[in-house]
Amino acid sequence: MSRLPIISGIGSVTPYGPLAGLVSCDALQPSAITAWETAEPRRAFVVEPFRAASIVPGVKTRRLDRLSTWALVASSLALRDAGVNLAQVDRSRVAVFFATGLGCVELTEAFYQSASANGWAGTDPITFPETLTNSPASHVALFHDLRGPNLTISSKCFAAESALLQAASLLRHGQAQLAIVLAGDTLTRAVYEWYETAGLLSSTCFGDDSSPEGFVPAEGLVAMVLEPAGRQAARAYAALGAGRWATGGDARKGAEELFGETRANFVFCAGNGAPCDSTPELCLARGLGGDAATVYPAQPVAAGMGEAGGLLHLLLALSKQPGAGEALLVAESAHCGYAALRLEIF
Amino acid sequence: MIDAQKTIVVTGIGVASPYGAGLARLRAGLLAGECRLKPAAELYPGFQGMVAQVRDLPPVGDGHRYSRTDRLAMAAARDAVVEYSIPSSLLRPSGIVMASTVAGLTEIDPGIAQGPAAWYRDGGLERAGSYPVSRVAASVGEHLGVQGPACAVSVACASGAMAIALGANLLLDGAAPMILAGGSDALCPFTLSGFNSLQALDPELCRPFDQERKGLNLGEGAAVLVLETLRHANERGARVLAVLRGWAMTNDASHPTAPRKDGLGLACCIGRAMEMAECGVDEIGYVNAHGTGTPLNDIAETHAYERAFEGRRGPIPVSSTKSYFGHCLGAAGALEAAITIVAMEAGALFPTLRLTTPIESERVELLHGAVRREALPMAMSVSAGFGGSNAALVFGRLQS
Repeated sequence: MSRLPIISGIGSVTPYGPLAGLVSCDALQPSAITAWETAEPRRAFVVEPFRAASIVPGVKTRRLDRLSTWALVASSLALRDAGVNLAQVDRSRVAVFFATGLGCVELTEAFYQSASANGWAGTDPITFPETLTNSPASHVALFHDLRGPNLTISSKCFAAESALLQAASLLRHGQAQLAIVLAGDTLTRAVYEWYETAGLLSSTCFGDDSSPEGFVPAEGLVAMVLEPAGRQAARAYAALGAGRWATGGDARKGAEELFGETRANFVFCAGNGAPCDSTPELCLARGLGGDAATVYPAQPVAAGMGEAGGLLHLLLALSKQPGAGEALLVAESAHCGYAALRLEIF
Repeated sequence: MIDAQKTIVVTGIGVASPYGAGLARLRAGLLAGECRLKPAAELYPGFQGMVAQVRDLPPVGDGHRYSRTDRLAMAAARDAVVEYSIPSSLLRPSGIVMASTVAGLTEIDPGIAQGPAAWYRDGGLERAGSYPVSRVAASVGEHLGVQGPACAVSVACASGAMAIALGANLLLDGAAPMILAGGSDALCPFTLSGFNSLQALDPELCRPFDQERKGLNLGEGAAVLVLETLRHANERGARVLAVLRGWAMTNDASHPTAPRKDGLGLACCIGRAMEMAECGVDEIGYVNAHGTGTPLNDIAETHAYERAFEGRRGPIPVSSTKSYFGHCLGAAGALEAAITIVAMEAGALFPTLRLTTPIESERVELLHGAVRREALPMAMSVSAGFGGSNAALVFGRLQS
């Protein structure tokens, strides 16, 4: 797998904080929501406020959605971690590939608030462009002067996995020489109350750990630098192998086809929204890995990020088992299909 | 020698446009020079400007709630599948790449800002389910029984063209035997208000590439292209409508909303698409432009064509079909790809409507007046969007 695209840099803004490289694998506890008033205490995996300019000197984030701010910070940390000197790179060949479930909901809500207060004729012209789902990716391009393909996608349950695979495809086909893949979402009052009204939340969100049903919402954004195999990268976390995602079909067969006769040493789950010990994907992971493989269940903090959580799952897996060798990311959901990605973890 | 496994072809086109359902109506409307724009106030009291609406959109009676954007996408995809007789056995392993910027915003109203929980309890919960942009692709997939890879692309007004480019990449990767790629967007107060706040709307009929242009008109619609490799198309005996010879995507990295004034980023994109298509500047016979009608876009775009087609024997013929039914945002690139293929098939270069005083350029021929009839072996569709994104698609006819 040595000739495959490699992950050479990681930056993240998650409930673990803004970080470059790997993260601690300590299990996080959800914290009380303070960003908006709640009648009763409510909990989630949230990103604590921080000053972006203290991490990325010169970055201007006033009037940006938090998702755009996090994209700027995480992409800067990832590039720094990768040791990429953009002055020596053809920036017209650097791609930005962003995956999200809900996009810039914070400023979309703000736009609706301005419409509610002032009528449709009195909405805010500065807010409107920042509501667009591709704003975070375009701010990354603008800040780093990256002039290659700039894409924002969403895919039911597997947006991050899809972005990773499609970014690798851009490298493979020579449509980019370097790619920054990002995946993230923010929590807002409207999003949280959507989940709550729909009855999707775990009792943990209400301070009661008695019922494992439902999920704990999370927010955050992870960025990874992808470089083609031939490039001399300063650092390499993993090489990306073949992968696929599908909205239906036989997950086990699909995943097994990626490996052929080879067995994975390490299989990690990347699903979302469901408890970790009874998911179909965990059963699938155990079956794929065999007796000798380490199986790492989906982590609640990443699962809570929904369809953009795949990169955080990957980051946690890389942090959990560096040097694992042959590995497999697997995600499966009855409603969404499956995703599988072969990796070699260095 | 053509490598049939690496040659991407279009074997079906489905459309839901302000002309009605189907490619034939779109073709007839364009050839007749029929403008479908009407005063916005007829649909949205209090709003100024002009819009073009898709009428008689068929309901979907499967018990789910779909956004108008979803329904447009489903109608266009269904049209492609029915019109080109694609069997369900072939659809099942296929993939979907659908573009949208509006998606389920059509279902949300400002009431959500006053109290989300109450809004959800008051019927909003069901409506919110169609909010995520991924729903557009998922709805099409569920509607047609597609089980391959599916994703939605949301890159502002370049989305539709980028969906086609990503769909082509998926085919090159062998991710699916066939990809339904396109875009869908519906009119809604959110976008009308947003563009109005930016003072980007022309209160009257838009005039792309005219020196007196004042802004854009919004439209709605959807288009879906059936993409597959030439080998796959040959094996199943499908008629090839066009070859997608080249595609490229770039970013200006210059401003959050305005295009780069010198057109450099877009010119680079056009150049790369031609490079992939292995064609020279003289071989492209027509460009279906982004041509929004805003003062900034159209001059920057003209500069981009001047750069990209430098050295061409004569000026490059360019027009904006947004003058017929407005700017359909995330669907625009897909609809205009369909129009570009129609132009090649019909040998018809569609003029920009209401273009009386074109931007002056020696190297760009801004088409106006009557439809020009000429053989068109190769043509290009160009898109751009907020955030500096650019996309270019080069279509050609299949050489016998």
